Amino acid sequence: MGLEPNLERLTQLEGIGCARKRREDPRFIQGRGTYVDDVKMPGMCFGAMVRSPYASARIRKIDASRALALPGVIAVITAEELKPFKLHWMPTLAGDVQAVLADGRVSFQNQEVAFVIAENRYIAADGADLVEVEYEELPAVVDPRKALEPDAPVVREDLAGKTDGAHGARRHHNHIFTWEVGDKDKTARAFEQAEVTVTQDMLYPRVHPCPLETCGCVASFDKVKGDLTVYITSQAPHVVRTVVGLLSSVPESKIRIISPDIGGGFGNKVGVYPGYVCAIASSIVLGRPVKWIESRSENLTTTAFARDYWMTGELAATRDGVIKALRVKVVADHGAFDACADPSKWPAGMFHVCTGSYAIPNAFVSVDGVYTNKFPGGVAYRCSFRVTEAVYLIERMIDVLAQKLGMDKAEIRLRNFIRKEQFPYQTPLGLEYDSGNYETALRKVMDAVDYAGLRAEQAARRADPGAEWLMGIGVTTFTEIVGAGPSKMCDILGVGMFDSCEIRVHPDGSAIARMGTITQGQGHQTTYAQIIASEAGIPASVIQVEEGDTATAPYGLGTYGSRSTPVGGAATARCARKIREKARLIAAHLLEVSPDDLEFDLDRFVVKGAPGQAKTMKEIAWAAYNNVPSGLEMGLEAVDYYDPPNFTFPFGAYLCVLDINRYTGETKVRRFYALDDCGTRINPMIIEGQIHGGLTEGFAVAMGQQLPYDEQGNVLGGTLLDYFVPTAVETPVWETDYTVTPSPHHPIGAKGVAESPHVGSIPCFSSAVTDAFAHLGVTHMDMPHNAYRIWRQSHALGLDRR
Amino acid sequence: MKFSVEKTFPMPGSSEAAWALLQNVEDVAGCMPGATITERVDDSHYKGTVSVKLGPASLVFKGDIEVAGIDAATRTLHLVGKGADATGTSGASMDLLASVQSGDSPASCQLVGKSDVSVSGKAATFGGRMMGSVTEQILQQFARNFAAEVARQAPAAPAQEAGEKPAPPPAKGRELNAFALFWAVVRDWFRHLFGRRGSA
Repeated sequence: MGLEPNLERLTQLEGIGCARKRREDPRFIQGRGTYVDDVKMPGMCFGAMVRSPYASARIRKIDASRALALPGVIAVITAEELKPFKLHWMPTLAGDVQAVLADGRVSFQNQEVAFVIAENRYIAADGADLVEVEYEELPAVVDPRKALEPDAPVVREDLAGKTDGAHGARRHHNHIFTWEVGDKDKTARAFEQAEVTVTQDMLYPRVHPCPLETCGCVASFDKVKGDLTVYITSQAPHVVRTVVGLLSSVPESKIRIISPDIGGGFGNKVGVYPGYVCAIASSIVLGRPVKWIESRSENLTTTAFARDYWMTGELAATRDGVIKALRVKVVADHGAFDACADPSKWPAGMFHVCTGSYAIPNAFVSVDGVYTNKFPGGVAYRCSFRVTEAVYLIERMIDVLAQKLGMDKAEIRLRNFIRKEQFPYQTPLGLEYDSGNYETALRKVMDAVDYAGLRAEQAARRADPGAEWLMGIGVTTFTEIVGAGPSKMCDILGVGMFDSCEIRVHPDGSAIARMGTITQGQGHQTTYAQIIASEAGIPASVIQVEEGDTATAPYGLGTYGSRSTPVGGAATARCARKIREKARLIAAHLLEVSPDDLEFDLDRFVVKGAPGQAKTMKEIAWAAYNNVPSGLEMGLEAVDYYDPPNFTFPFGAYLCVLDINRYTGETKVRRFYALDDCGTRINPMIIEGQIHGGLTEGFAVAMGQQLPYDEQGNVLGGTLLDYFVPTAVETPVWETDYTVTPSPHHPIGAKGVAESPHVGSIPCFSSAVTDAFAHLGVTHMDMPHNAYRIWRQSHALGLDRR
Repeated sequence: MKFSVEKTFPMPGSSEAAWALLQNVEDVAGCMPGATITERVDDSHYKGTVSVKLGPASLVFKGDIEVAGIDAATRTLHLVGKGADATGTSGASMDLLASVQSGDSPASCQLVGKSDVSVSGKAATFGGRMMGSVTEQILQQFARNFAAEVARQAPAAPAQEAGEKPAPPPAKGRELNAFALFWAVVRDWFRHLFGRRGSA
């Protein structure tokens, strides 16, 4: 365009592509963040939950007299107290209902039974201990396959006789829905005609994201004004406002939901939980602020778990490894209430991305949702609505097929990839992949790690009968689906899954921007400012980004499923462009030229062919408040609601090398090489941090996390004594790399990144662990791959004998 | 969490004396560390409490005990107990078959106990891995108390034949000695650890 980029001004702008330091960190590393539990209000009281020790029981009697006699206890509420307000049950995001406080019966261990409100937290806890509940224990069922047997215990007596659920017919008292997608007959024919087929059962165990900060809220109802203010750990504050409005019949205009600093969400903080409802209801009744904060065990055993998918995969292929069809059967354990936070029409979320990065012509998926006596929630954990399960399934199946055919695990992927020129690509399960370049990514990784050399080393190790350490190489080439989503396909409670941004440029050229999303560690305050800097020419350092307060931010669906950049980021870019275009009109007016004669140059408008004639955005901002062309509104503000035309499809190629001690089951991750392609890269340093975090959480899930249950429905992983959270000691060293394949439909080509490393790394660890035993005929090992379970595999094969 | 325990304890005293004691539920309960019978509903139904203190956690189980059967021919007592911790965080139930069998001499006998225990709530979540060990300790204390009670009620029996010291009086109704219990559990755990290695 004739203008030399001015590096000094470009640097000052700190726009897209700049590894700008996180704006959030100075306050966090000094302990100056403001989390929900930091909120203190005058007259605030505390709530504590009384929970069921049984997974399934009838409640005979609740006696609160001893609790009420304790000085400092203000009230004890049970379902009976909530009944007059019709708040003892609440609707879930999945179209089911959930007991706020147990209505005569409990269906999972630690279910909410009574809520004790006291002057302080300690009295509330003591008061909760004094509430005497008489239970009649009933048989429980914790295995979703057993839950579908004809004589299985009934999990939900309240649904007796209800043959229709939110997603169609129910065929059993513990059945929630059957969701089918794909061409069943065509897929069946492909299997009948196949040269080779493979089948594999696999369990993706129940895990929990275990964010550093547990869930909680402070609800404050002003009886005089009739205003309700709620500080809450929510990844979707606007949705919470709508839900609270529906439940309380307080108009949304009188409700203010504030998500302050959030200490990690990972999907755990999407749902609306009984604790929130109890705190809000108590505050409305008492007219005092009520705080409720979960303990670690309450967090691990009652709010939004992840996975619990019991999957069977089948592949049909030719003898030379060309895949012809995929068939998947899933039994999905949703716990006692279907409180999955999926878009309304998608009871299995985006599980239908399970054809992965491969050109599979035929596919059919069937998912059965099942009630069990386990806690509700689901779709949490750094995963866009069941994508983790889908990617796990297809990546494991590709390995199983490779082993059956005696093919190399990288080679079989290269043979089946969707090729670069096939995009946009229609999958047999109804998705349109926007862009991808899978082969380039995998080849780059193979070159970087000397894949052929690793396989040669492995062959030598396998040939040595004295080798104490087995060597496993894991490969995954995953495709993610994020950025939910197009409102024609995705809604929550009928609200389309758009997102929004509002920018106000002040007279001095600085700006405030507000979004409908909410950061929980992703660094929005840093990256959104970079988008605006590049698009509107305002230095990121003078842009204030605010989210999470429904009184100020425009309505948005929040942050989960890696949707902030694909949806909120798009709204931000478009909003900044609106600012820029209005600025162009003002600049033209000031320079007395036609707007078409102006060229945007980083932070100013320059008259084409006259580089000396220019107006900076700072000058234009000032003029916007005193000297605008006639007919133009004063001020420099814009708002944008962005309804994405499609999802975005980030992808990556990961490789893991690990060594396993055949005598002890000890695993040492030697190398983990992660190449991610998230399209346009807004802040490489934040991307790197997100990838490190996602890989570490992937490592946690694959190698140790699980929430096991015993037959009576006792949850056995509900403390950090049992639940594995990796520290720097266990965590491997991560090597990262990238390619850039922009999304063609996103305003700046960005795709979202935070979940990819979680989604992609988990099957990669399973792939590597299984690969260490693959030469002995092992095709799959269920997670978690802890030393004991790996040793059991080694022992079963007799490898631990000296 | 469900588990079964089967134990045989040698008793100093005749089987008649032991059987006589075993049929008296209140006395049997008195031998159980931390247990008390609080109410006799009728001949076969009782209410009672069991307190266990483990570190900072103090659990008081309140429950119902039912004598489901007394078989004089086999000298077998069938007890069914069900209770919940007063703070409402744990529940427990037990099905116990206890019988007195004759010993090597007329002056000695064996107390054989077989019980199925089911535990729910915090006790299972937090205490799951200690459960076996804790039960073992409780039963050993019980057997010691029971033996002492048999000896007390039947003073004629040559209880000190084997040169044993007289057993301490039963710790009726008191909480389990937290420190002693803790120590025994840790010791057991270590034994288990090395025992397993030795036998592998």
